[in-house]
Amino acid sequence: MIRRIAAIVLILCATALWVLASARPPHPWDESTFRMTLSNEPPTLDWNLATDSVSFDVLINLMEGLTEYDEHLRPRPAVARSWEVSSDGRTYLFHLREDARWSDGKPVTAGDFEYSWKRLLDPKTAAEYAYFLYDIEGAEDYNTGKTDRPESVGVRALDNRTLQVRLRKPIVFFPSIVTFMVTYPMRRDIVEKFGERWTEPGSIVTDGPFVLDEWRHEYKLSLRPNPYYYGTRPALDRVVMFVVNETTTALTLYETGDLEMATLPPEAMSVYRGKPEYFTAPILRGYYYGFNVLKPPFTDPRVRRAFSMAIDRKEFPAILKRGEIPASFWVPPGMPYFNSAIGLPFDPDTARGLLAEAGFPGGRGFPAVTASFNTSPENSLIAENLQAQWKRNLGVQVLLDNQEWKVYLKRLQTDPPPLFRLGWGADYPDPDNFLNLFTSTSGNNRTRWKNNRYDELIRSAAADPNPLRRQKAYDEAQRILLEKDSAIMPLFVATQNWVIKPYVRGLRINALELLELKNVRLEKS
Amino acid sequence: MRFIQSHPNIIISGGFILIVCFAALTAPWLAPYPFDQQDTHSILQGPGAQHWMGTDRLGRDLFSRLLYGARMSMAVGIFTALFAVLFGTIYGAVSGYMGGRADNILMRIVDLVYSLPDLLLIILITVTIGRGVLGIFLALSLVSWVTVARIIRGEVLKLREFSYVEAARAVGAPHHRILFFHILPNTLGVLIVTLTFRIPAAILAESTLSFIGLGIAPPFASWGSMANEGWSAMKFYPHLILFPSLVLFLTMVAFNVLGDALRDALDPEHRQRSA
Amino acid sequence: MIGYILRRLGWGIPVLWLVATATFVLMHIVPGGPFDQEKSLPPEIRANVDAKYHLDRPVLTQYYFYLGDLLRGDLGPSYKYLGRNVNDMIRETFPVSMQLGLWAVLISVVLGIGAGVVAAARPLSWMDHTGMFLATAGISLPSFVIGTFLILIFSYRLHLFPAALWEGWRYTVLPAVTLALLPMAYIARLTRSSLLEVLHKDFIRTVRAKGFGERQVLLKHALKNSITPVVSFLGPLTATLVTGSFVVEFIFSVPGMGRYFITAVTNRDYPLIMGVTLVYAVLIVVANILVDLVYIWLDPRMRIKNDS
Repeated sequence: MIRRIAAIVLILCATALWVLASARPPHPWDESTFRMTLSNEPPTLDWNLATDSVSFDVLINLMEGLTEYDEHLRPRPAVARSWEVSSDGRTYLFHLREDARWSDGKPVTAGDFEYSWKRLLDPKTAAEYAYFLYDIEGAEDYNTGKTDRPESVGVRALDNRTLQVRLRKPIVFFPSIVTFMVTYPMRRDIVEKFGERWTEPGSIVTDGPFVLDEWRHEYKLSLRPNPYYYGTRPALDRVVMFVVNETTTALTLYETGDLEMATLPPEAMSVYRGKPEYFTAPILRGYYYGFNVLKPPFTDPRVRRAFSMAIDRKEFPAILKRGEIPASFWVPPGMPYFNSAIGLPFDPDTARGLLAEAGFPGGRGFPAVTASFNTSPENSLIAENLQAQWKRNLGVQVLLDNQEWKVYLKRLQTDPPPLFRLGWGADYPDPDNFLNLFTSTSGNNRTRWKNNRYDELIRSAAADPNPLRRQKAYDEAQRILLEKDSAIMPLFVATQNWVIKPYVRGLRINALELLELKNVRLEKS
Repeated sequence: MRFIQSHPNIIISGGFILIVCFAALTAPWLAPYPFDQQDTHSILQGPGAQHWMGTDRLGRDLFSRLLYGARMSMAVGIFTALFAVLFGTIYGAVSGYMGGRADNILMRIVDLVYSLPDLLLIILITVTIGRGVLGIFLALSLVSWVTVARIIRGEVLKLREFSYVEAARAVGAPHHRILFFHILPNTLGVLIVTLTFRIPAAILAESTLSFIGLGIAPPFASWGSMANEGWSAMKFYPHLILFPSLVLFLTMVAFNVLGDALRDALDPEHRQRSA
Repeated sequence: MIGYILRRLGWGIPVLWLVATATFVLMHIVPGGPFDQEKSLPPEIRANVDAKYHLDRPVLTQYYFYLGDLLRGDLGPSYKYLGRNVNDMIRETFPVSMQLGLWAVLISVVLGIGAGVVAAARPLSWMDHTGMFLATAGISLPSFVIGTFLILIFSYRLHLFPAALWEGWRYTVLPAVTLALLPMAYIARLTRSSLLEVLHKDFIRTVRAKGFGERQVLLKHALKNSITPVVSFLGPLTATLVTGSFVVEFIFSVPGMGRYFITAVTNRDYPLIMGVTLVYAVLIVVANILVDLVYIWLDPRMRIKNDS
């Protein structure tokens, strides 16, 4: 009796499981859906406030700025159909397209750009990337509160279709700057109507190839084609971006047919190498540990140099296994004016000497310091490795500490830890973008380090069309940053490794990691 | 000899636990490598001659880390359980003995603690005190004493009605004497069983906490934090999570089997019926 | 009956108030506030933010504001996720956790009681020994171990079920099984020992003497009387499972409420902490009432005791 009941129940369970297991996700090309993952929940989709690559991955598909990149990462017209530069190189005139529209049908006007840029610079917005437009006349003064008149900023909508920009000095790469997300146009009426919630689906209005259809926080975002987009309508009917923190989980989802592309975790590289689905390319992205130079003992450049020279960076690719490029330089390979000969070498003896000079022979008396990083398995690995190397080579015990990304970012804004991990991906392919991070006025300079000569070099190089002079300037600047003052210690440069389903066409992998999906289509055969 | 024959479970599980404790205590001598020694030339190796259980992502020997992890997990487990049982027993015994309004109020407080989500309390406490061993120990103890309090109170309520208690009071024995010398010794069976079951619960809680990433900070290891490290590499390097999980599992089983066996032996009400 | 239910619900209100107060106190004891990390904001912005969230007022005033909002059913805005309401956050995530939790309860109750009954019906048989061995194993496995092994076998190797996400029925299987295993094992053990105890009582002998078949003896008479401890266990268990297990939701990337229990504290997101705690407390109160009602249904003697 009991046995029969038990047997029936077991058979029922088995059948149920079998039925569930054999159900498969619908073929991706039935309703052409492209599914991918984001490593974190986007901290914000307000493009004046966004700073990180996750937000960027979403925004680049929702929005379009004055210019965009071509296959060679050179700027080409987007919302602006053409532009002119004055003879002194300081005034730009952008002519907008007639047919560029927002997702609610309204035309994109020059006034939308003026509003967005002034909002970016408005001190009340407290936008981290405000400094991005400091090259515009009056921008810095407005943002730092020296004047409270937005009219003093050198950007004006001359009419609905013409945007005039006056720069403080000639910037040769300005058209590249206006590809970047913080310069996207913005709708004053939407922002003022919805306040903090304006980026939610239903209120958000965008001008790019896709619109935000659904946003289930910390889980997924869904995009659909923008019916009013001026360009070719995207071939995809839908894009779904899942928030999945674990790369191995994402890979398995890819393998079971739940995703169209996934980042390849290092452990899987040997399995996928040589397969047609595997794509790899270098990226203009580097990682470093910064010192808060106002916090002892890192106030002493000798200590900073010692810490940098005590690390053998060749251990990192062995640990992370993604073909990382060990780096003591900061400007990455592939970037114009790259120079591999710059940076402090691995030299534990000199490092120990420096530490002794600074008053901590053999690490004795060295105060307890904490190295901080945002939570992720790779960051933990590197942090633990650094901890072990500093102990081994300097005799110093460093403590470790980590927080989730959002919280960590806020900490860096207000009170950077003595040692902190950060990375930087190029916003545009020019060394200025990597080096101006550490000028005294940069909002991204968490090190609190200031050097006038460095600032001067960066300033002059940005305006100088002469390549030889630019090279010299950037070399000297890097030497100050990395060798003399050692305000940061670079770790490595990243590579990107993807697996992409063979039926995905039109996805261009580029060194800026721009995941543009407007040209992607899914092909059955 | 007859004891061993008639109580094989106690011997086997108890023996296993003693072995683990021994390993934990002697870890610094028993471990072939220091737990934090990284060897970037032997990363993510499977079990082999040089590293019996393989290495992790930083080239650290898994077997050594497992031994050191035993110290952490067992220490937290045992001390948390001890504290919870100590505090819970006194609380529950006093409440049950006093009865009436005092009992009511004390039990309402217990209900209140029960109504608060465990995880939240644990995180709140670790965040206040810090992620060291002390913080975790306090957090886990403060959450688990309530179960013990309820059990002991139930026992004391029953024992209180026995005639020898009445007799003791008639003679003029003060309350605390009755409680500590007459009633509590009779709860010893239940106490020991409760303790034996509390330990795996505490070890479980600690490993779950470490798995989330809120347990002990690196480079120190506990079985839970090792499982956390192994989880993301599980697809390609299962040994990283297999060994900590296995050890955790066996230890927990041992405690649970021991608890069952002790309950059969010591607690007359729950004796296993053999038809 | 109705009167009894209403009275119990009435008792629930002071409990909830106590919970809200206790949580409020605990949160303010913990060092660090939600906006301490916003020092880079211009002072006027900071002042605005503080005023908006009443953080510039004395603690007691904040407490009154909070209670006032609560009575209106407003759990407040999240301190960390600007522009989002705690009400919305819970509304979006609770149904997911509830769905997962209820499946887990169902599986664990059906299979757990079933296994316990089978074991008790044939004590010391091979079924009993196997069943109880598996049950002991079940309570010795942390959920992250179970979850990871299920993923390893059924996702990575066999590609039968998805490794994560929540997009359809296929996605519920592994998380629900992971969540159900521990309670199932507990229930099996509990059912078995309780049933065995009851089976030896005198009244069962009477029932048998009356000529009832073994099946009726077991299911109709013994089970009903022995189910009490299982019901007690189920009450708080359901409340816990339904509010989301952090570990399972983390491993399987399920968009449930469980993660808020951790992230809200580490972010010092006071309203969110209060929100999830209160949801949990409400569920516990309701669960306890339901448990008592089931007691009364099972054993009418309880009714007299409770009504007095």
